[in-house]
Parts: sequence; structure tokens; C-alpha cells
Amino acid sequence: MNQETKLKGKDLINVGIYAAIYCVLTTMVAMLGYIPIMIPLLVVLCPLIGSTPMMLFMTKVKKFGMVTLMGTIIGLFLWITGMGYWPAIFGLVCGFLADLLDKSGNYKSAVKTIIGNGILHITLFANMIPLYTDIDGYFASRQDFGQEYITSLTNIMQPWTAPVLLICSFAAGIVGALIGRKLLKKHFMKAGIV
Amino acid sequence: MLSGMFQASIKNRGLILDPRTKFLLLFTMSIFVLGGAGGNITSYLMPVFCAVPAIALFSAKRIKPAIVYLLLFSGAILTTYFFAGRTHGLAHFLIIGICGILSRFLPCIMMGTYLISTTTVSEFTAAMQRLHFSEKIIIPLSVMFRFFPTVFDEFRSINMAMKMRGIQFGGVGAAKMIEYRLVPLMTCCVKIGEELSAAALTRGLGGEVKRTNICKIGFHLQDYLVLSLCVIPYLLLVLRCFGLFA
Repeated sequence: MNQETKLKGKDLINVGIYAAIYCVLTTMVAMLGYIPIMIPLLVVLCPLIGSTPMMLFMTKVKKFGMVTLMGTIIGLFLWITGMGYWPAIFGLVCGFLADLLDKSGNYKSAVKTIIGNGILHITLFANMIPLYTDIDGYFASRQDFGQEYITSLTNIMQPWTAPVLLICSFAAGIVGALIGRKLLKKHFMKAGIV
Repeated sequence: MLSGMFQASIKNRGLILDPRTKFLLLFTMSIFVLGGAGGNITSYLMPVFCAVPAIALFSAKRIKPAIVYLLLFSGAILTTYFFAGRTHGLAHFLIIGICGILSRFLPCIMMGTYLISTTTVSEFTAAMQRLHFSEKIIIPLSVMFRFFPTVFDEFRSINMAMKMRGIQFGGVGAAKMIEYRLVPLMTCCVKIGEELSAAALTRGLGGEVKRTNICKIGFHLQDYLVLSLCVIPYLLLVLRCFGLFA
């Protein structure tokens, strides 16, 4: 690794800052999750909101590893906030894949950045995995949410929705990225931030 | 009123716990209280874990959050206990849903508040270095740790400003409501972040040499007590895997 591609203090600080903004925003959106119908919708809503800071982050990324770190940190955050260990694994893998894709576009290609953002947001789908693999175990530990919550959520989470949700999170990541880019153009370029 | 609640101060900390202990405690709570791992076998330990944040907050002289936490938590438990069997339909659903979520999330939120409000960034970094984490993960995490309170404070101020302008529920569309909060939040966070990174670089963060740290962290009697409390649910979980509990 030569000096050009090595991660420096400033890059690492940038990762921390944007990860903090991202986590605060998604947590606020995720508070909607106690309405059962909203649980699968979160996979769409969180990427829509969270992509704007992500696109701003992507304008700062010039080196390999930053997106991987970002994915890992988001995964760890989701794990700590009680979503199980799947997001941590997905965060690492999706972050790495998105990083590879962005790298191939030299972190400048708009299309690749947008698709990379979609891949990164598949991490959020990982929150739902326990609902498919072990739905009884999931609710055995959540009896205090109430039987009606459980019934309505079980009815929503049929097995066939798994791939649909995965694609939805990917698509929402892409749509969110487009919105994010629009916001960047509208607000941040004018203010000289990008 | 609430501003500064998350800002760490080294005075008034009362019972001093090692950052590593606090982390293990938060981690254990998020797995067993929030995540509900272990199911029945660890359930009788839960009240103990739920009481820990209150004790910790009291000892750190954060009386107000501690009392609010106790009231809300016991309120949620009592409401579930008295009304869950007597209501039906939507009311039942609302009561169970809100109380269940309160009693599940509050302990962890309060533990997180305690962790952030009593640990300085240097202590956090020292603890992570002792745990031999890579610098690549320590720096982003410590920045995040430092930055969470800032983001919350900024968001609160922006929210008030936007309410004053009448940009809230029922006033304008949802898209506008989000945009008018998201954009200022990000703008000022980016500005603060730039200043933060300049300040950190001045103090040699991310340099070639290894940074030293003068924070004295270490395990004391109270740490061992909390640590042994944290180990119990994992032990029970392992024991169950060997089939000692049905």
C-alpha cells in the first residue's frame, strides 16, 4: 500500500461523521416500526432517507476501504441496537462489494456510485432475516409485544416476500441515491460543501 | 433544558466504571433485554439488568433522567400487568405495543445515555486500544461517539426552528418536511465535522507514530461485580446448549 491509497486520519474521521449522521437518521425513521405494517416498509423508507448523507459521503470517498468501513460500522450499530448478528455480516460483505464496484468507477462514476449505494442498503434487509429463518424463535422472545402484533406481522412476512424485500431495499437504495444527488445539486453545491 | 445531557463531563461521575465494563454491559443488555436472546431461562435476570441503568444514572448524579426512566419503565410494566387481560381489539393492541416497546427499549436507551454521558472520548479510545482494535476502526468509532450528541443537539434546534416556521405535521407536505430538516442538519454537521477533523489532525490523530493516552482506566471492585453479572446470561445460554436446562 503506498501513500496515495492508504487511509489517513481525515478519511477515517469522515467515515465516523457520516456514519453518525446516517445512524441518527435511520434510527428516527425506524421508530415507525412498532406499527406492524411499517416493518417491511422500513426496508424502503430507511434507504430513501439515508441515501442523502450517503451520497454526500461518496463525494468525499477517494480511497478503497472507506465504504467497507462504513458498511461494517452500520452493521455493528444495528447489531448493538438489537437486530441480531445478520446485519453485521451483511454490512461487511455488502460494504465490500459496493466498495469494489465504486472502485471500478474510480469513485467518480455516477452510475456505479448509485448502484453501489443500492448494494450497501441490502444491509438493511438483513434486519428482516430472523423473521424468515426463525419466526417462532423471534416471537418467543417478543411475547410482550402482544398477540395481535405477532399475528399481523406473521401474516405480512410470508416466505415469498424475502426476495421481494431484498430487491425493494436495493431499488430503494437506488431511488434514494437519485433523490440524494438531486438534493446535493439543489442545496450543497450552491453552498460550496461538495 | 435537555441540551448538554449527553455531553460527557469528568466531574460528578460517582461510581467510576471502566469503559470496557460499560460496553460489555450495553452489549449484554442489547442482546438479552432488547434482543430477547435466551428466552425463558434468562428472563428472571431481566429486572436486575433493567435496574442497572437507574442505579448507574443515580450514582452519576443524573437524577432527572433516572427518575423519568424509573417512572416510565414501571408505568409500562404496571399498565401491561393490569390492563393487558382486560382490554380487547385496538386498545389492547396499542397498550401492549407501546408498553412492550417501552419496557424493551428504555433500559438499553438509558444505558446508552449513561455510557455516552459519562465516558470521555479519550477514555473510549484508551479502552479500545487496550482491546487491541485496529486504528481503522477506533478512529471512526470514536468520532461517531463524539458526534452523536452533536447530531442530536443540532437536530433538536433545527426542529424547533422549523416548527417556528410552521413546517411540521399538517402544515406542508411530508417531502418538504423532511427536506427542510435533512438539508440543514447535514449542512451544519458537515461544517462541524470539518472543524472537528482539523482539530483532531492538529493533535496528531492518524499520524505515523503511535499516540499516547494519559487516561487511567482499569478494573476495580465495582467493575468485577458488573462483569460477573454480565457473564451469567451467557453462561446460562451455554449451559442450555449442553442440555442442562429443558
